[in-house]
Amino acid sequence: MNDLLTTKDLIQLIEMWIGAGRRVAGPQCVNADDSHGKNNLIHYSWLTRAGDLQLDEFVRPTNSIKEFVFPRHEILYGYRFKGKQIELVPSELPTTEQIIVGARPCDAAALDILDAVFNWDVKDESYNCRRLLTTIVTLACKEYDEFCFCTSVGSGPCDERGSDVLLVPTDGDCYKVRCLTEKGRRLFAGATAASSEKAAEPQGPPVRFNLDALGEFLAGGYDRPEWSEVTRRCLGCGACAYTCPTCHCFDIVDEGGASGGVRARNWDACQFTMFTAHASGHNPRVDQLQRQRQRIHHKFQVYPDKFGEILCTGCGNCSRNCPVDMGVLPVLKRIAARQ
Amino acid sequence: MLDELRQTCRRLLKDGTVQAVIGYGRPSPDDRVVPVFLTKPEEADRLAWDDQCFANLTKYLSRKEVLTLGKRAVCVKGCDERALLVLEKESQIDRSQIVVIGLACDGVGQPRLAKCSSCDVHAPRRADIVIGRATMPDDVATAAGRYAEIEEFLTKTPEERMAYWKKELSRCIKCYACRQVCPMCYCRQCIVDKNRPVSISTSATLKGNFAWQIARAFHLTGRCVGCDECTRACPAGIDLRLLNLSLAKAAEETLGFRAGIDPDKEPIIGTYSQQDHEEFIQ
Repeated sequence: MNDLLTTKDLIQLIEMWIGAGRRVAGPQCVNADDSHGKNNLIHYSWLTRAGDLQLDEFVRPTNSIKEFVFPRHEILYGYRFKGKQIELVPSELPTTEQIIVGARPCDAAALDILDAVFNWDVKDESYNCRRLLTTIVTLACKEYDEFCFCTSVGSGPCDERGSDVLLVPTDGDCYKVRCLTEKGRRLFAGATAASSEKAAEPQGPPVRFNLDALGEFLAGGYDRPEWSEVTRRCLGCGACAYTCPTCHCFDIVDEGGASGGVRARNWDACQFTMFTAHASGHNPRVDQLQRQRQRIHHKFQVYPDKFGEILCTGCGNCSRNCPVDMGVLPVLKRIAARQ
Repeated sequence: MLDELRQTCRRLLKDGTVQAVIGYGRPSPDDRVVPVFLTKPEEADRLAWDDQCFANLTKYLSRKEVLTLGKRAVCVKGCDERALLVLEKESQIDRSQIVVIGLACDGVGQPRLAKCSSCDVHAPRRADIVIGRATMPDDVATAAGRYAEIEEFLTKTPEERMAYWKKELSRCIKCYACRQVCPMCYCRQCIVDKNRPVSISTSATLKGNFAWQIARAFHLTGRCVGCDECTRACPAGIDLRLLNLSLAKAAEETLGFRAGIDPDKEPIIGTYSQQDHEEFIQ
């Protein structure tokens, strides 16, 4: 027997959550009401009404859910100058419960992976606070595109990691509801109906490269010719890192004037020249080859060595959003195809 | 046309005219078209030419990773070629050291990109070698057609326009894809990267995003050639084309200038006239 929920009941349930004062985010079209720009751009964003939620007919949003636990700009604290004294003004942490509904498994799994780095030497207060307030209702993927490679990095369209609830679409207009945590159970308590309807689990994209062979390549030295060949077209923007569910680098900046200001943390990306610029003017990573190599090494060697998991869930956003169709997959495919 | 392109590039590499060709290609048959960098004659078969050849490859002329390859040939569509003229006028390239391969183009994208509907440079005009012949006429494009989208946008009230930009720019994540794809953004250090002191807030807040996009647009006034690569690159789907069009329109209407069109005209930023009616110039 399965716990089932119809699409209509799911929308009603979400409407109830919003009505109860929870903040609910999910995939929705963010530029439907104008004729400019890219049509039908789907982002994870705050829902004002459940009806705006997009549940199917697209592969995945072009952003990631990390911004709900790790915002792109976050004030750490404020400061005021009082004569010769500096007064610190604590920043208030959020208190409102938030639900992300319709998350993709590659997004939810990413948070599970990120928990390690945000709780490593310092327990990151704001990350953990937001994480605790967040319930993730994941939707298993029926569709995939040429950029998806979850199955090549040990994940898949029904990966449960990081999710509180996993919804698996059935052939009818229904979802099989799999509550995975107490948080998830509370959210769906009494909402589902038992049924014997079968749901065939989606299989996801074919495996696109051999992960073990990649490990050997990465351990084999920095000066392989494949690096310069495959990274030359990279233009050094941060579209890959900023839309990646696992990239988590940040910069700390002070913004203010003569009377005071704020210290804030902003996303940063390893593809920028400034990322490794020293105050002396020296920059240890002189070109894009080195920056791209760093990105791949961090995801597939450094992070796994330290935290035991690959810093990539195969969502494909890095390529999907790349102006020159780079990202992780073309690089790894090129490495896998080497002679 | 593709055969001719491949033959030309093969010859240029073989006889040593250039050491590298910057072109479009598919790494393997199922892949999308990406920028490719050929250094051997036998690699010419990797070149592609169809309506999926979006990138403005002139950007790579200023990229360190490509400069090291030696003397270069670059493939350009008519719209991309305009960037070369601006770069030359701004002393950023030595045209005698670059072989320009012009590709006649009837438009890119399915459906065609917005810029293609008012294109008047289907066939490159100043390329060293032009390959193919465009079937689309250039003479149907008019100034009215070029600025139709911005004219329509300007019929909205200032409040409506502000609401539009607030909504759109709230999605900007400051990934700087717009800057990185732009052939005109060649500054060694961009103004947003200046941090001693900070000139423009690096935060991706509405205020910071307005500051960045306004600074970017102003720095491109009379320089932007309308290749729309910024718009295509933006992962947040912001129609940066509208900003660029607005400034291009101002440059054409007030100074009769279009960037990268007339080699006899000097750039509007970078020249001055003593006859200028503004007092500060005298």
